[in-house]
Amino acid sequence: MSPVLRIAANELRLLARTRVAQIAVALVVALSAVAALTAISQGRESQEIRSRFQAQADREFDGQPARHPHRMVHYGHFVFRPLPALAGFDPGVDAFTGSTLFLEGHRQNSANFGDVRQSSLLVRFGQLTPAFVIQALGPLVLIFIGFGALARERESGLLRLHLAQGVGARQVLAGKVVALAAVAGLILAPALIALVWLALFGGAPAPAVAMLAGGYAVYLLVWVLITTSVSALAPSSRSALALLVAGWAVSAILAPRLATDIALAAMPQASRLETDIAIQRDLKKIGDSHNPDDPHFNAFRASVLKSYGVSRVEDLPVNYRGLIAMEGERLTSALFDRYAERQFAGQREQSRMALILGLASPTLAVRSLSMAASGTDLEGHRRFLQQAEAYRYTIVQGLNRLQAEALTFSDDTNRNRDPEAGRRVRIDPGAWRRTPDFVYRPASTAEALTAALPGLALLGLWAGLAGSLAWGAGRRLARGAG
Amino acid sequence: MRLGQELRLFLRQRLAVPTLVLLALLSTVSVATGLWEVRRQTETIARIQPLQAEEEKAVSAWVSREGDAGNAAYYTFHATWDPPAALAFAALGQRDVAPYVLRVRALALESQIHEGEAYNAELALSGRFDWAFVATFLAPLILIVLLHDLVSGEREAGRLQALQAAGGSTGLWLRRAGLRLGLAFVALGAPFAAGAWISGAAAGVSLAALGATALYLAFWALVCLGVGALGRSSVANGALLAATWVALTLVLPALAHLLINSTIPVRQGVELTLAQREAVHAGWDKPKDATLNAFFAAHPEWRDTPPVLTGFHWKWYYAFQHLGDLSVADQVAAYRRGLEARDAWTARAGWFLPAVGLQTTLHRMAETDLAAQLAYQDRIRAFHERLRRFYYPYIFNETPFREGDFAKAPRWAEDG
Repeated sequence: MSPVLRIAANELRLLARTRVAQIAVALVVALSAVAALTAISQGRESQEIRSRFQAQADREFDGQPARHPHRMVHYGHFVFRPLPALAGFDPGVDAFTGSTLFLEGHRQNSANFGDVRQSSLLVRFGQLTPAFVIQALGPLVLIFIGFGALARERESGLLRLHLAQGVGARQVLAGKVVALAAVAGLILAPALIALVWLALFGGAPAPAVAMLAGGYAVYLLVWVLITTSVSALAPSSRSALALLVAGWAVSAILAPRLATDIALAAMPQASRLETDIAIQRDLKKIGDSHNPDDPHFNAFRASVLKSYGVSRVEDLPVNYRGLIAMEGERLTSALFDRYAERQFAGQREQSRMALILGLASPTLAVRSLSMAASGTDLEGHRRFLQQAEAYRYTIVQGLNRLQAEALTFSDDTNRNRDPEAGRRVRIDPGAWRRTPDFVYRPASTAEALTAALPGLALLGLWAGLAGSLAWGAGRRLARGAG
Repeated sequence: MRLGQELRLFLRQRLAVPTLVLLALLSTVSVATGLWEVRRQTETIARIQPLQAEEEKAVSAWVSREGDAGNAAYYTFHATWDPPAALAFAALGQRDVAPYVLRVRALALESQIHEGEAYNAELALSGRFDWAFVATFLAPLILIVLLHDLVSGEREAGRLQALQAAGGSTGLWLRRAGLRLGLAFVALGAPFAAGAWISGAAAGVSLAALGATALYLAFWALVCLGVGALGRSSVANGALLAATWVALTLVLPALAHLLINSTIPVRQGVELTLAQREAVHAGWDKPKDATLNAFFAAHPEWRDTPPVLTGFHWKWYYAFQHLGDLSVADQVAAYRRGLEARDAWTARAGWFLPAVGLQTTLHRMAETDLAAQLAYQDRIRAFHERLRRFYYPYIFNETPFREGDFAKAPRWAEDG
């Protein structure tokens, strides 16, 4: 057996007899298993609830009675954001965003009923998911188990004994790294099993699963290397522990919060209410449909009359009111898109800025990778909002077109005065059933993997840093011995 | 004095001053970011009012031409806001995800009141760096650094026996621990006190927040002393204390959250909005008399107004809007009970988990918790009721709504 493996085996034998190590590993493995089980079952449950609600909303839309199409524009539609399969591993921002959106004409509503507003402030303590257990608790267990790996042996003189027996200092260090990496594998095991399970039975894409498994393995390896190196370099085991715990607190606890405040201070965003008002104001500048002499709508009428070769709206072969509705919706939607794009861009900037602090925190780096690969990052929510808005526009314009084509102008104008006209404007409800249902297109695997790249790059950087730290520690150790 | 001597001894230790300075620095930064955030919220609230007035003027310009009160009620939004309490800077709480400014109309309320704010969910996931965070999460770690080797450090330095021989060992340790606890408390609390003074918080509630924090720190000091009394080495104490910290501030609260949310599911929010929409829109297809009679049962004062004969009338429209809200009143109450139950169980968990207890207490005092969010909603509900009652006479008596009438509408500021 090579000396490295012998040292690793010895270390592991020793750890297996140490009560603290036993308890720590057992606890974190148990926590990880509990987290995986509950996260998977909760993910499945909320996915079931959402698809049940979606089915109910689709059924209710299809089942509406004969109506004026504009009534359906205001009846609107509900859409629910489906949970990606890997949300059972890392739910990401799911609890922090609303999962349901009410779509109607002329208005853009917010996604509502996110867990964060429905939970007590306990939600801010962090959620017990496999991702959280490995991101936050995994490194800490490695620190508790590994901080003394070399420091204690040096304090007891055991290290000098090793070296006197002709084992190289680097080999000792490598042996300790291998032993601690084996512990890391144990910590990772329940999460890996959960990932494999999700890939086999939950429909999770294999490349994303591989990316997650690889990413978390690298992340724990970074901590293994840092822990062992600090143990080799620190003047005493006590200062090794203090340094490592402080580093962990900065990475896992302090940096994410600081990143939030820095990003928010650098790029504050307008409140929803201000955006609403700004949109209304811009809209009024383009065209005011309530103003009978509005230049925009006058020009619109003139162009419609011209294209049909008639001189009065009453003579159009289509219902002019429907055309006005379509034009109005076109204007508002263009503004919604413009403002939403601006807001998304601002949020992207914020998130990017927060991620830069991943330079100070491997936890931020792996978190970004994990959410992106799982499809539960902010980009996933944005995708939902954008697709929902596109869907809103499609169905509203479809209904407006029905108003233009299936109704006559005189019926539409007299619907409230003439009961017969009022009856005729209520069109056959088959039209509601023909309206397409909302189909959410999740991020493709390639998109998810691309989104995970910045996190991966940062993690790679950390792996390089930790590797060179270990290399330097080995050199110091060798020099100290020689 | 002996305490002065202890102080000199303590400050001469290598980690003492840097650790305390770090805590004071973190506390100061958190107070500063909190004050900044609160000022931003106050400015937003101040900014929306002229914007809102301008929009109202634009609506009034075309509505008052026709004088149709139904249009006035339909198109006029009314701004509401929830100004941050004086201590909000210390615990920003739910104000990042729940709106503190919201506009409502005299239409059915249940489709308006649950609206959310536009925020970056990735940042919300991380949470804010506020003073409550520093006090709950970081201050105990600092105490652990200061207290884990209180006794064991002396033993390892070979001074323990001499110290014990000098007499009064319990008193000595208590004095030393008290000194460290006191210094940590000052480092943590002084920036808070300054922030409270700047934001004009009442002395009573500020002192209460400091008192709760002092109790929390005292708890951690006792834990440190208890672990120290086991007689292990400094390094074993450090590891055990750090593990205790992880269990009490991360793992057990997360488990409690999991338990509470799965035992008390709240699905009524989505259910009630779906149901309310059905109820409101079914109004279009029901006989008008049935709708109006149901409405008159709740508002008999309008029973004797002229009957609706045309295909459309605003009084019928606003009647079924309100009936939509009434039809889900039970679900609204159930939803709220669910939320309050979650909150109540969290408060109970706070009796066993000091970190949860402190967070609950500080957020209650800062009025940034779920209860504060619900209280704001209650005020919106009351305001909406006043709005409805303001527009009803115009609509039901068919009184023209003119430019001057816009100014008569209820204003949020009067409500506080």
